[in-house]
Amino acid sequence: MEAQETMMGKGREAIEMIVDPGSFEENTVGGKSVAEEDYGPGAAVGTAKLDGKEVTIIASDGMSFNERFPVVYAGVIGMEEGYKMARSVYASLEADKDKPLDEKRALVLIVDTPGNGPGKVEEIFGMNKSTGAYQLALAEARLAGHPIVAMVIGRAVSGAFLCHGLQADNILSLDANFGTIIHVMPLTSVSRIIRKDLEVLEELSKDNPVFASGPRFFHTLGGVETLVETVEGMRPAIIEHIASIRKAKAEGKQDTLGPWGRGALGAERGGRALRPKVMDVMNKEFEAVADQYAPAR
Amino acid sequence: MSKWNDLQEHSFLESNARDRALGIVDDGTFTELAGPFDRLSSPHLELLGDAVAFDDGLVSGVGRIGKTPVFVVSQEGRFIGGSIGEVGGAKMANTIKLAIDFHDKLVADYPDLSEEEKPVLVISFETGGVRLHESNAGLLAHAEVMDLFQKARGKVPVISLIGSKVGCFGGMGFVAAATDVIIMSEFGRLGLTGPEVIEQEMGKEEFDSSDRALVFRTTGGRHKYIIGDANFLVADTIAAFREKVAELAPLPVAAFEEMRRVGSPETVERQVRGVALAAEMHPQDARDVWAKAGNDDPASLTDMPLAAFLGQVKRLSV
Amino acid sequence: MALHTVEFDIKLNTGTITIDVPTHTGVVGSSDMEVLMEPKDLEGGVSVRIVTPVTGFDDLWKRVLDKFVNETALSDTRIEINDNNATPAVVLLRLRQAFSQATTD
Repeated sequence: MEAQETMMGKGREAIEMIVDPGSFEENTVGGKSVAEEDYGPGAAVGTAKLDGKEVTIIASDGMSFNERFPVVYAGVIGMEEGYKMARSVYASLEADKDKPLDEKRALVLIVDTPGNGPGKVEEIFGMNKSTGAYQLALAEARLAGHPIVAMVIGRAVSGAFLCHGLQADNILSLDANFGTIIHVMPLTSVSRIIRKDLEVLEELSKDNPVFASGPRFFHTLGGVETLVETVEGMRPAIIEHIASIRKAKAEGKQDTLGPWGRGALGAERGGRALRPKVMDVMNKEFEAVADQYAPAR
Repeated sequence: MSKWNDLQEHSFLESNARDRALGIVDDGTFTELAGPFDRLSSPHLELLGDAVAFDDGLVSGVGRIGKTPVFVVSQEGRFIGGSIGEVGGAKMANTIKLAIDFHDKLVADYPDLSEEEKPVLVISFETGGVRLHESNAGLLAHAEVMDLFQKARGKVPVISLIGSKVGCFGGMGFVAAATDVIIMSEFGRLGLTGPEVIEQEMGKEEFDSSDRALVFRTTGGRHKYIIGDANFLVADTIAAFREKVAELAPLPVAAFEEMRRVGSPETVERQVRGVALAAEMHPQDARDVWAKAGNDDPASLTDMPLAAFLGQVKRLSV
Repeated sequence: MALHTVEFDIKLNTGTITIDVPTHTGVVGSSDMEVLMEPKDLEGGVSVRIVTPVTGFDDLWKRVLDKFVNETALSDTRIEINDNNATPAVVLLRLRQAFSQATTD
């Protein structure tokens, strides 16, 4: 695999590479403003055309700096960013609420975020609500029929990836040769915190994708549907996935998409083998006692 | 005296996950699912040579309060900080799934089903989020939980209990934020970033993570109640948490929607006003926000007895 | 690096006490352990399985379990332990708690 120039920090460039030329209109979704000019600069949001159809764009801007919240820079999702992203989703839902399933606009998430805002003011005011709000909004839009595709171009780190990416129907990632980072933390930090030799962890991670860092391990775990090999490949891959997601939704196969679908994919690819067994045990045990918990009539 | 009776006056803070699960529901009604006798421990910890637990540090099951079926998830902070891995994550996600499916089945089977006969889900949080030993699987489980919360909307209310030693942080911090209602004790802590990481990011002058009082002022139950992140603040006993859950359990699902802090365009707009206030104030200390909320002597709020606090505290309104 | 497993059987001719129901006690906190006790026909004996990160203490485990089985006259029981560096004193304490729970529930 030949090393490629990284897309890290280039969320805005990625928008231009993906959407129809010159079609991105920032801060507007469904004809309504979702944010003031400099609000939540870590996220670039708006509407664009993709293959002639309107889509909502929610992208990390890794070159940004939030003047009001100094811990929010380089693509960090702060409180403003989370709510701005949530607003863009709700505006998409609102704009298409009366449209049939196959006309609900797609949402394209361009992911390059190193974390959630880690500051004191963030904790005092509850940063956790902001990322929670965005995730619930995405899940609502996904379940309402909007196709959601996440495209990881740089960093997809821990809670920030949960927030911006892991609620999508499908997740695509530039392959490891772009230096793409998908993890909770680097293996060096894991090694320090859980007190295991780095060499040992590196050796173990060859056979077990469960704690290692990188898009390929997430692919094996079912956390990423498709690896994309070139930057030019992003646009057609996204268009293709939107089409297949629409088809699945039209057929009522929502459970093959999103986090639940990726659970099954993980088992299929051999990455999370115990998950289905655990669920199976619980289902059987509950079935045996369910009557006790039904109303007495 | 039965074990259940005995548990009621136990400190919630000191109680282990199983005792919290048993004590929250009616005496003798709790059935554990994927319990310790199923021996579903983490293969990943085993590979790394770290101690395993028969329940992977998470108790899941179902009980009843009055006529309400109560699905329960209870996290054990003493086992690797209550962290979520593949097994515990699957247990948590599937408990929510079972609650939703059971709701749908009851609605289909009983045309006269009353509100209080519909299931609720209770989660007793004690966790720092993802378990690093199996971080990728833990992360993916968090996403499944968030998805299932949205699927539970309008069907199964989700009630958070936060009053255990480890608090509720990391990814589980926003999982809790996404539930319908949050009940805390003053010893509970809720946030996203743990105190040590804030210190690391901002420096010790800005945030000294060894200052216990500061840590509690920033993420503790009293502060979270003032700022509106916790809906209710109760005493530190299993009985007090149970009483509040029992009061909420029979309510119609619409009443739970009204208690939400996020999850709709309207709540998001309210939070946006809160963020504007944060940008304007840039509080050095949570007490600045307490004063802003109309509390004339914010310092006094920290140590006064709970009843007095609840009697006089003013909560932030934006 | 994988976890260490210790397994052995204890057979005392004096064992007369049995438990009626399976019981689970304890939390695998730091320096602590959990134990499962289940009734099992072992011709009067007790079988033990311990899973622990610590190696080199197999004889000590055997002695502590012998002492416990001796003092309780336990028989026909399967004991399984997940250990996380518990001291012998803690091991005995948890075993006694489990026994008390199994015989009073």
